[in-house]
Amino acid sequence: MVTVTININGENRTATVPPETTLLRALRDNFNLPGSKLGCDVGDCGACTVIVDGKPINSCLMLAAQADGRKVLTIEGLASMNGVHPLQRAFEDCASLQCGFCGPGVIMSAKALIDENPDPTIPQIRDALGGNLCRCTGYVKMIEAIQIAARVMRGETAEVNR
Amino acid sequence: MDKKPTVAEKTVVQEPSILHESVIAPLVSYPIEVVVPKARQQTPAVGQRATRLDGRLHGLGQTGYIDDITFPGMLYAKIKRAGVASARIRSIDTSEAEAMPGVMAVVTGKDVPCNSFGPSLKDQPVLAYERVFHAGDGVAAVAAVTEQIAAEALEKIKIDYEVLTPVLDPLESLKLETPGVHAPSANIYQSKVIKKGDIEKGFAASDHIVEGTFRTQMVEHVPLEPHATIAMWDANGRVTIHSTLGRITLGRADVARTLAIPISRIRIVATIVGGNFGGKNEITTEPVLALLSKKSGRPVKSVFTRPDEFIASTTRHPLIMDYKTGVTKDGRIQARKIRLILDGGAYCSWSETTLGKACILSAGPYNIDNLYAEAHVVYTNKTMTGAMRGFGAPQVCFAYESHMDDIAHLLKMDPLDIRLINAFNEGSLSPTGQTLQSVVVKESLLRAAERFGWHSNGKGSTNGGTNGGAKLLEKENVNGNTVRV
Repeated sequence: MVTVTININGENRTATVPPETTLLRALRDNFNLPGSKLGCDVGDCGACTVIVDGKPINSCLMLAAQADGRKVLTIEGLASMNGVHPLQRAFEDCASLQCGFCGPGVIMSAKALIDENPDPTIPQIRDALGGNLCRCTGYVKMIEAIQIAARVMRGETAEVNR
Repeated sequence: MDKKPTVAEKTVVQEPSILHESVIAPLVSYPIEVVVPKARQQTPAVGQRATRLDGRLHGLGQTGYIDDITFPGMLYAKIKRAGVASARIRSIDTSEAEAMPGVMAVVTGKDVPCNSFGPSLKDQPVLAYERVFHAGDGVAAVAAVTEQIAAEALEKIKIDYEVLTPVLDPLESLKLETPGVHAPSANIYQSKVIKKGDIEKGFAASDHIVEGTFRTQMVEHVPLEPHATIAMWDANGRVTIHSTLGRITLGRADVARTLAIPISRIRIVATIVGGNFGGKNEITTEPVLALLSKKSGRPVKSVFTRPDEFIASTTRHPLIMDYKTGVTKDGRIQARKIRLILDGGAYCSWSETTLGKACILSAGPYNIDNLYAEAHVVYTNKTMTGAMRGFGAPQVCFAYESHMDDIAHLLKMDPLDIRLINAFNEGSLSPTGQTLQSVVVKESLLRAAERFGWHSNGKGSTNGGTNGGAKLLEKENVNGNTVRV
């Protein structure tokens, strides 16, 4: 067993887990954060995407022990008491999520992109979503939502309007 | 008659009528007003953005899918897959797995009260018993306190197989001398034939006969959320199942049958499903989980791994499609003969529906007076095929449209024109004799051609057919739905 302390969504959390436990399993089972999804467990689908020290990663491919001492942001950490994150708002308004299972991963990939590049082009957005699979909605509405959210985050528009 | 009744008269008259109404009424007919959109009428919803009621929770990561739900004392189940396409099971030894610390229950095929189910034919076992029909068949299931222990326990289950020669090619499966996958049942387990007119006459009246064979492959739905189930068998003998199942009523019936308990004792809770596409239309491991829960007295959860999803859930039917079409020089279809062979995999599942729909749609949206279409679905020792978006329609669409392109190529016609000449009109009869309404095939084709510049980017015909399609349509409108021009 290994004891890990991870800063998750701004809070230091500690758990003792078997060494083979992935960050995804630890988030879901030990830290009660089931927002990150298990889709394939081999890093193909991106449903488990979280942000570790500013970079989007597949949490099913990272061991919980590897995240020890690092900063992890999950979908649960995006919204605050002040309201939902502009990405979440835009995804809702653009109906970018149908079954929603890929959503948390897609939104986290998008968040990492906008943090690094506040004004991404469509090819850059496509590239950022390269590791996220969606089977129902398709990517068009997601790209649209990410563009709108980026505009809101740049302060160009207060409202998500189309 | 104009005389107004006095107050006293009114009272006398009205009282019985109120009484009468209260006995016989309400005589209000429901629905009071039914708004039925007229043919071709566009509803106000078209063009509007459809936001989802559950969209916000999806984006917040707050939607509770089955795998996000846990219950106190819950166990994790894993299912051992056969790994061989066809075999006789000589013996299963689960003793070592059962002796492992943390393993709370093990079940095999012999523990299932009624080991068969299916949406139409009841040919699918819950867990393999004596025979293995495809590599994804479950042969044993383990419930343990952690997923790792359950996975380790699977390794300790020893199964002695007598490996048999599998039937893998659907065309081989068709042959009489091929051993039956489910002997003594025949390998062809369902057929459909549609006849219209006289194809021999049609072929005789044709200038050209075009033949082609088209094949499609097996496709997995790959829902982002794998199949997941939680079963809880309570002390009163009732079982509650949380499942990713799309059709819970059908699921309850199948669970009742396989567990041999009344349907009233089964409660199925469906939550938001993370993608279905037809792949979650029938039960998979629900009875197994129920039995594990009954045996262990604890809630039991199982989530398919991605490999499970590919080998043990349903897939899209691969089709082998033979087309033969007789056409005149100017591209009018005189007769069409079609044979569809559906690879049904190891079990029937939704093959009946798929077969029917594929056969009905196999001629395409074209007016064909002389038609013969036959479809057969056969067993093979492969992953079972079932419902998937379109139920066979995408496969035949690929075939008949490719075939139309081949015909156009042979006749040196614009592929658009040959479709416009033969496509359905308002009031056309489908191959099964249905009068079709709201038919806009030609308008759609023309509009699409215009949108992506069919004629301007050099893809159009070389024989002056550039605006032929549009002209055809014009003439039709003038003549009022005449097919021939």
